Amino acid sequence: MEVMGNADLRRLAAIEDIGFDTLGGSVVAVDAHNWLYRYLTTTVKFTDARAYTTADDEEVANLIGVVQGLPKFFEHDIVPVFVFDGGVTELKDDEVAERREAREQAEEKRAEAEDRGDSVAAARLEARTQRLTGVIHETTRGLLERLDVPIVEAPAEGEAQASYMAARNDVDYVGSEDYDTLLFGAPETLRQLTSAGDPELMGLESTLERHGLTREQLVDVAILCGTDFNEGITGVGPKTAVEAITEHGDLWSVLDDRGVYIESADRVRDLFLDPPVTDEYDVRTDISPDIDAARAYVTGEWGVAADEVERGFERIEAATVQTGLDDWA
Amino acid sequence: MFKAIVGASTLQDALDSVSVLVDECKIRLNEDDLSIRAVDPANVGMVDLTLDAAAFESYEADGGVIGVNLAKLEDFVGMASGDQLVELELDEETRKLNIRMDGLSSTLALIDPDSIRQEPDIPDLDLASEIVLEGAQLDRGIKAGDMVSDHVRLRVNADAEAFHIEAEGDTDDVDFQLDADDLIALTAGAADSLFSLDYLKDMNKAIPKDAEVTVELGEEFPVKVHYAVAEGQGNVTYMLAPRIQSE
Repeated sequence: MEVMGNADLRRLAAIEDIGFDTLGGSVVAVDAHNWLYRYLTTTVKFTDARAYTTADDEEVANLIGVVQGLPKFFEHDIVPVFVFDGGVTELKDDEVAERREAREQAEEKRAEAEDRGDSVAAARLEARTQRLTGVIHETTRGLLERLDVPIVEAPAEGEAQASYMAARNDVDYVGSEDYDTLLFGAPETLRQLTSAGDPELMGLESTLERHGLTREQLVDVAILCGTDFNEGITGVGPKTAVEAITEHGDLWSVLDDRGVYIESADRVRDLFLDPPVTDEYDVRTDISPDIDAARAYVTGEWGVAADEVERGFERIEAATVQTGLDDWA
Repeated sequence: MFKAIVGASTLQDALDSVSVLVDECKIRLNEDDLSIRAVDPANVGMVDLTLDAAAFESYEADGGVIGVNLAKLEDFVGMASGDQLVELELDEETRKLNIRMDGLSSTLALIDPDSIRQEPDIPDLDLASEIVLEGAQLDRGIKAGDMVSDHVRLRVNADAEAFHIEAEGDTDDVDFQLDADDLIALTAGAADSLFSLDYLKDMNKAIPKDAEVTVELGEEFPVKVHYAVAEGQGNVTYMLAPRIQSE
């Protein structure tokens, strides 16, 4: 059984480095779960739990994570639009949803273990951050609202919604660490927005051109290798899959030719090509954060240690109230 | 080719005006002058320095560009006392700058100019007000503002012909007012912008208290601050981007 990991799709994707300098003034639809998860794990890893545990024993490490992650956007004059996943249960096929859920958990666990190189600590960390709790969902939105950062609620997959908004030109880029945005049709995806240094730009057109495929065919290639929603064909890697699709035209002909079957392949295909998305969103670029309200929310209402978030708030304040000379060039 | 002899304090004052904003810069060794233009990493403050050949005891250059670590260069030049002469010579072979003064010679390794942040274009701004005042007056206004806030409002009241440096703190306010009579000159027009004191204080450090400082100011526009150095044989221009006015 083969499951296409990020490494497989990365081998197909056309990716180039891009400087933050060239991104000024752009709008990025950020896959919120993906982004938040990154900062949440970093916070839990490096911060004393007492700094983010309320009197009622609620853990709101996400508030520290958001305050640490946001300045990067503001300092580079980028407007983030956070796109949240809808409930996974809303996906039509429960089996598919469960598979994805299990896979996400496994990946998160592996990433943590890798990051830490300490299996005992990684397991403890896993237990603590396993899922985004209701309080984390609520307070992340509460903080973003006070900072005037636009939020979009996706009906299902946040990545699909973000890709849809980018394809419609309502935003300039999708921000995600996941390569699936290619399959969801995002024209340009910024990766490594959560890392130190400059991000990577992943292009759909350039990826398709490189392999002489249509987007439908790229999705078929991915399904053959295995995606978050299906297991691939044993022994078929990206190179073989591209060759097979090029030779036979589409997924069905390849499956016919090989005499093999992929469970719910048609539904997986639809999930990428025609995912549930909404037009109910509003992309604003005139952001004016209420820093005082955000600070009061985080340190007052939720009792987070002030010294954990003060530097982040200062950076946001400086970046949003201070103009740059290039604004007048 | 570059070889020059210059009074230590002339060079120190000129370098100070740049080092308050950036750690590294490109120095253009033009035939008729030495010039530096640099912007801070956040792209908020810019400095443009020109030292005419006449500011030097002797000056020979043919248009080269060198990159320097300013702190190191200032340390070396700082070994000379104010009225001593400092000799600068570029060694093309080793790409090092030889600095010589009374009995002391040092060699400064240069930085690849291409590795230094690109010099910005100077935005073409239409600034309605021009205020000419003494460095000491500007210093007083900035120090007063710094007591209560991290930013100040620079404003011209065109009707009353007055220049104001105002700051609003959480609880305390200051208003430093200079009437036309207090100023060396005033061209009053619409002018009202907010500026970060972090930057203004740095720039203020480099501005001599007895300098005649010209402030060009507009409505929510960058401010230009310029003054002469090297007894009129050189010029420093700062440009500072404003903060957004929230209310």
